[in-house]
Amino acid sequence: MIEEIRRHARLWARTASMSMQAQLTYRLGSAGFLIGKAVRMVFFFAFVAAVFDHVKTVAGYTLLETALFFLTFNIVDMIAQIFFRGVYNARRTVNEGDFDFYLIQPCSPLLRMVCSSVDALDALTLIPVLVMTGVVLHRLPPLGWTRGLLYATLTLNAVGLVFAIHVAVAALTVRTQELENAIWIYRDVMFMGRFPVDVYAAPVRWALTFGVPIAVMTSFPAKAFLGLLSPAWTAYAFALTVVALAASLAFWRASVARYTSSSS
Amino acid sequence: MGKWPMTAALTADALTKDYRSPIKEPGLLGGIRGLFDRRYKDTRAVDAVSFSIEEGELVGFLGANGAGKTTTLKMLAGLLTPTSGTARALGHVPWRREAAFQRRLSLVMGQRTQLWWELPAYETFRLNKDIYGLSEAQFRASLDELVDMLDLGAHLSIPVKKLSLGERMRAELAAALLHRPSLLLLDEPTIGLDVIMQKKVREFVRGYNKRTGAAILLTSHNMTDVVELCRRVIVIERGRLLYDGALDALVARYADHKILRARFSGPFDAKKLAALGTVVSVEDGRAALQVPRARVAASAAALLRDFPVADLDVEEVDIDDIVRRLFGGA
Amino acid sequence: MKKYLTAYSIALQETLQRRWTLLMDRVGGFAVVLSLYSFWNVLLGDKASFLGYTRPEMLTYVLIINVLRSFVFTGRGWQLVGEISSGRVSSYLVRPLRYQGYALALDLAQKTIHVGSAFLEIGLLVLVARGVFIPRDPVAWALFTLAAVMASLIFFFLEFAVSTLAFWTSESGGPLFCFELFLQFAAGAFFPLDVLPEGLRRLLSATPFPYMVYFPARVLLQKIAPSEAVRLLGVEAAWLAVAAAVAAAAWNRGLLSYAAEGG
Repeated sequence: MIEEIRRHARLWARTASMSMQAQLTYRLGSAGFLIGKAVRMVFFFAFVAAVFDHVKTVAGYTLLETALFFLTFNIVDMIAQIFFRGVYNARRTVNEGDFDFYLIQPCSPLLRMVCSSVDALDALTLIPVLVMTGVVLHRLPPLGWTRGLLYATLTLNAVGLVFAIHVAVAALTVRTQELENAIWIYRDVMFMGRFPVDVYAAPVRWALTFGVPIAVMTSFPAKAFLGLLSPAWTAYAFALTVVALAASLAFWRASVARYTSSSS
Repeated sequence: MGKWPMTAALTADALTKDYRSPIKEPGLLGGIRGLFDRRYKDTRAVDAVSFSIEEGELVGFLGANGAGKTTTLKMLAGLLTPTSGTARALGHVPWRREAAFQRRLSLVMGQRTQLWWELPAYETFRLNKDIYGLSEAQFRASLDELVDMLDLGAHLSIPVKKLSLGERMRAELAAALLHRPSLLLLDEPTIGLDVIMQKKVREFVRGYNKRTGAAILLTSHNMTDVVELCRRVIVIERGRLLYDGALDALVARYADHKILRARFSGPFDAKKLAALGTVVSVEDGRAALQVPRARVAASAAALLRDFPVADLDVEEVDIDDIVRRLFGGA
Repeated sequence: MKKYLTAYSIALQETLQRRWTLLMDRVGGFAVVLSLYSFWNVLLGDKASFLGYTRPEMLTYVLIINVLRSFVFTGRGWQLVGEISSGRVSSYLVRPLRYQGYALALDLAQKTIHVGSAFLEIGLLVLVARGVFIPRDPVAWALFTLAAVMASLIFFFLEFAVSTLAFWTSESGGPLFCFELFLQFAAGAFFPLDVLPEGLRRLLSATPFPYMVYFPARVLLQKIAPSEAVRLLGVEAAWLAVAAAVAAAAWNRGLLSYAAEGG
């Protein structure tokens, strides 16, 4: 068991290094993506900052607090993009037969499908985001290290939740082979996480907490840091991740079983 | 295992596979209807196919396009679960995909690649070392041998996308064989390669089979592949097993003649050709004749003697022809 | 002409065939619209207007975004990049077919379905939510339609031009991605450009980008006097001519270099 885990860890490190090398061969293309993402972030910041030229608070949050929500969204979103990159190519992986190779080789097809390409460039964009988050956390009134710890734990929990969603999307792609860009829908819906969940009307908020748990991923950590999250909600966040992970892994297994009994 | 001999590397017992595919109704209206109410139809791709392959055997697997070759191969590799029937490969049920089985299996698909496109093939080799859990020493020994046999040395450090098709195919074979599989499934390994490269690949496959004693099942459109490599062939058509036995017997039975193809340098009497064999075609200075095997030499000599022949080829009958005749009985 | 109609019809069917993709596309787009509106709603609070937009006007702006995202921002750039990179583009070149016309036919098919769906969604929303600003003046509708059609063509040609980068490099996906993201912001597809500082806004107004969403939206909201709107439509038409010329030039140069290298 331990040996298996170590082998898969080595495997992951190998594919990560290979995908970085591959990426380096595409300089112009990579630069385009990098600049595009930077542009998107700068624009959004400019937008949020511009809004605060006209108002003092948004849904009761100050500029600094709103920035914390936005930055938290970016951290979670970027970690997912860096480490679960493979899902973005899931359809190609299936259609071009790479997935067939994953299935006949003695290693976890899930690991190879979801995690095997690491986006090194996104790692570059994560650095300024982390720095800015540090600045924002520092400039908020001192709230004690337990809040900081809770913030970090809930952010990690959010990454777990995002992983579950990526696994489910990968499973869906394997199952239907039709869903061209299932992951892009996730990205569109995830857009809602850029703002504090409090801006949404009650039914939407409810849906974002219990249905598509984007609030749990993006708003909960920031709220916890600001002392606005009750222990009950914190417990809910962790429980949700456990359930979501279990469910998505089961779904993945079922989809692979179906793939191997129906694909051509 | 019971009724199968212990030395069988591979056995298929009444393997059957049905596919389900959506029916697209024609026209825009059909498209809109399909949005809400989709119909499916079942097609039987493989129908109760049984055979057994011994350790060390190199068997050709023949059939026309869509005959069910690739589907059968995928079931034996564990990529597909059959609708009914069973199989055993190296003592395992393939579609359970147990690691112990996977470590001893390899599947090469001529039209698919497991090599990383942007990187040198060597990187994929290292990856496979980790996937199959090879030690550094095992990896080295295996790699050196394969590089030598496949003449790959100069190509190891060049990105795969810059390799020629033949170079890529050889690198593909190396990647598939690093872990020294005892069961090798080859699906059209020479497709798209030029004649010299086909020959190289064939020589390598034969050598690998001899040296390691691995069981190999090979599909090909290319009759030469099969003639040069396989003593035994299995033929399927429309999913059904048609023939399982010695290639010689198959050829004697069905490919009992060859094709003589001649190009003429001057005018000739087309009617006289009929005396030498069955005329398949005659057009602007060219002719093709079907000649029984036993009379090939005599007919060729007569052609050269009595006609202004500029060029003459003797060809095997097309594999698809043989298979078609097998099936239709004509 | 008939061949383009056939291409259009086939593309329509193909889009319908991939029903999950279609449904998910719509859901995703709707999520964006919903979150934008919610944000503005909170900003408005109990104020009568924000940045000059009343609540009904802001709702209408967001709904216009929903329509124009479907109508303007659906080019064939990614397909073109793929077809150039894979060399499949050659199969069009040997046929009696103008690739631009063919791509436009496919694009129109996609737009037809998405705009149809966008209006369906809006219809539902208007029933549920109260207080959508619907202009009664037919002139505003006419000007809006004209502005939107031109915007859609400008986008088509600009994206087409950027995509032809694929003739020179196998990595044109990156620039295309960057271009599209930038465009959506600069066009006002996320928020009305009024929110930006004066200087930046003036800079943008010297580009074709604001004509893609911001301008048509303001025309429909009757924030622009008809005479001024007509003048700006003239400017937009000029941009359209420029974009078409750039696309044609880029395509022709690209073909030359493609032929020179033998694909």
